[in-house]
Amino acid sequence: MFGFDLTPDIEELISVVARLGAEELHDGVRDAEQAGAWPDRVLAVLRELPLGGLDLPESLGGVGAGCLAKVAVLEELAAHDAGGLPATDQPGPAVGAVLACPDTDRAREVAGASLDGRAGCVLAVVEEGQLLAARLAWVPARPLPSWVWVSQADDLCLLQVEAAAGTGRESADESPLAFHASGSSSVSLTSAEVIGSWPLALRGGLQVRGMARLWAAAVLLGVARAALASTLVYTTERVVFGKPVAHHQGNAFDLAAIAARVHAAGLCVRDAAGRFDGNDPDAGFWATAAWVEMTETAMAVTDLGIQLLGGHGFLMDHLAEKRFREARMLGLLFGGRDGADADLASAVIAVPDPIVPGEIT
Amino acid sequence: MIALDRGTLRALGQVRQLGREHMRPIGVESDRTGLPPPADHPFYLLCSRRGGLVSWETGEADGEDGDADTESSSPDGRARLAWRPLRALLLNEEAAYWDRGVALSLPGPGLGGAALRTTATPEQREKYLAVFSDHERAHWGAMAMTEPGAGSDVARIQTRARRDGDEWVLSGSKMFCSNGARADWVVVWATVDPGLGREGHRAFVVERGTPGFEVIKIEHKMGSRGYETASFSLDDVRVSAGNLLGGESFYESRRGFKGAMATFNITRPIHAAQGVGMGRAALDLAIEFVRSEYPTHGRRRQRALERIAEIRRGLHAARLLCMHAVWLAAQDKPNTLEASYSKLYAPPIVLRAVSTAMDVIGEDAVRRDAMIEKLYRDVKILDIGEGTQQVQRVVVARQLFGFPRDP
Repeated sequence: MFGFDLTPDIEELISVVARLGAEELHDGVRDAEQAGAWPDRVLAVLRELPLGGLDLPESLGGVGAGCLAKVAVLEELAAHDAGGLPATDQPGPAVGAVLACPDTDRAREVAGASLDGRAGCVLAVVEEGQLLAARLAWVPARPLPSWVWVSQADDLCLLQVEAAAGTGRESADESPLAFHASGSSSVSLTSAEVIGSWPLALRGGLQVRGMARLWAAAVLLGVARAALASTLVYTTERVVFGKPVAHHQGNAFDLAAIAARVHAAGLCVRDAAGRFDGNDPDAGFWATAAWVEMTETAMAVTDLGIQLLGGHGFLMDHLAEKRFREARMLGLLFGGRDGADADLASAVIAVPDPIVPGEIT
Repeated sequence: MIALDRGTLRALGQVRQLGREHMRPIGVESDRTGLPPPADHPFYLLCSRRGGLVSWETGEADGEDGDADTESSSPDGRARLAWRPLRALLLNEEAAYWDRGVALSLPGPGLGGAALRTTATPEQREKYLAVFSDHERAHWGAMAMTEPGAGSDVARIQTRARRDGDEWVLSGSKMFCSNGARADWVVVWATVDPGLGREGHRAFVVERGTPGFEVIKIEHKMGSRGYETASFSLDDVRVSAGNLLGGESFYESRRGFKGAMATFNITRPIHAAQGVGMGRAALDLAIEFVRSEYPTHGRRRQRALERIAEIRRGLHAARLLCMHAVWLAAQDKPNTLEASYSKLYAPPIVLRAVSTAMDVIGEDAVRRDAMIEKLYRDVKILDIGEGTQQVQRVVVARQLFGFPRDP
């Protein structure tokens, strides 16, 4: 079997959210940032989908559409507006932790509360040998998180932050770099109650972190796609020195190269999603690699977007500056680049070639 | 996820065995002497007797039936050679892992085969591919496009094609023709009128021994020395009208040049995939070094592993680009953009992979007997052949946002 096709079901999901994005999100991006939330009618449609349950099995309250479906939907929404996704998609990046948790009753409880909006859960990535930070610097404000999954090496831990009276969930004083439509809060962990702690299988932690990174990579892909598309529109319309900006060879070459990178990174994202759906034990490795690829690419294409818009790119009249901020922020989550590099390095020799087997019999 | 069928796995196993036992040692020897293996080298006969690479790519050798996922069929419903593009891609990648130069020298239709697939009539394909059913001798095909004055800008080719009764007369010179001196036939691109630009292009099959066809030179190269790169002249070479690929009707409007470009839409991802194979070779050398020199934890081991991870990440992305491009081609879907993406993206990534592996290995990498040193010299040509990175950027720019052609 060999193919890059999406199933008709996934294509249908994409068309639904594409319509939603075009009709309800695209023109209201700045309003959503001001409001700190996506419009209620958007949230209602996504709850109905349900966005948060696409990649959760039915046994955990989801619809079992799979990781590839989730990634495709996130990409499409992010291409219109990524701003509200962290708050809207619950359990979102923490879904890998929910799936990996050996205490299925507890996992179902957390997933259920996240899906129906009663309480949120977030994933904190802690470097091997490091202590858990006293505070998570940024989490979406709605729903305020009641649980924090902690992924450290191949261990998984669940904390309840509601128990930390007075020091648990706090609103952040200032807006974060991006994702203003998701609001902002920070979480203190100094008095958090440990609900459970579980050792996972070898590279099981990387699967958990990989799913979170894949979530971010899918959003980055949508951001990158939108940045490229809007840059192409502007640079083919705007004339400088007698011809469109894009038709000056220096710019044309940069645009062509970045288009190839966006396409390549997008294939990596979808490939990794397919690996999760196929229960590949190394999907987390390839998802982490896809996130690194996507982070570098998104930062490059959003930077180029501003650059080619010139002074306009720096203004909030255009969305180029928003995408530039989003790309940077998504590259800092879930252990950041250094954490991802450390994860990749620790597994790189053990992970087999994903296409051509090492031994052929 | 992509799962490989049994036929492809079996073919990969065959190439791997041949690569380990023959291609790598022959490649090293060619690199040392600066000469490609002679056409009567026993290895080529061995390849032919095993069915040849063309058979491995098509499944002919093991009598496979068509595979719905990979089989290609022509738009008019006529049977096409059961070419399996993914298999061709992965076999090229695997062969290049062992030695790209020797891989390019393997008996088979080569680039000429790709031209036949995109341009020839079914009868012509059958006629010129028939020679590869002879497994008792090594046979090659080739394609000649580049000229001393027309490399990247193939529209400027000057080799003339003149109709004379039932024949065509070809005059000019060609260079950078892989396996051109040993080929049974060469697909030669010529123009009926340089003033017509691309619309004047025609492709002809010139068979070996045709009077006026003379090999001038076998080039000496920095790397990839396992295959011959030939220059030849065409001095009033006469071929029959039947040697015009696709027949006269094919060249109405701009189909002639489009035929050539369609050829590249197939060969560019495969060319890029060869780079992925070379990158994998560099990766394995770096891993071997780390296992040997930094077996336990430490600062250098950690840094080396991070760099190895960087190599793997890049090669994986490049490979997916190549696979996506041939997947489109296999379904007769347009893939000009994706083919150029793969060719634009992969070679610099592969060069960086080889260079990064050298960083990991350190000073030992400069030794002439170090495989990585050879890979560094071998790999650069990938960014030049089949359209340079710059040409690919032009193609992408035209496809994506109407980058204008020169007046």
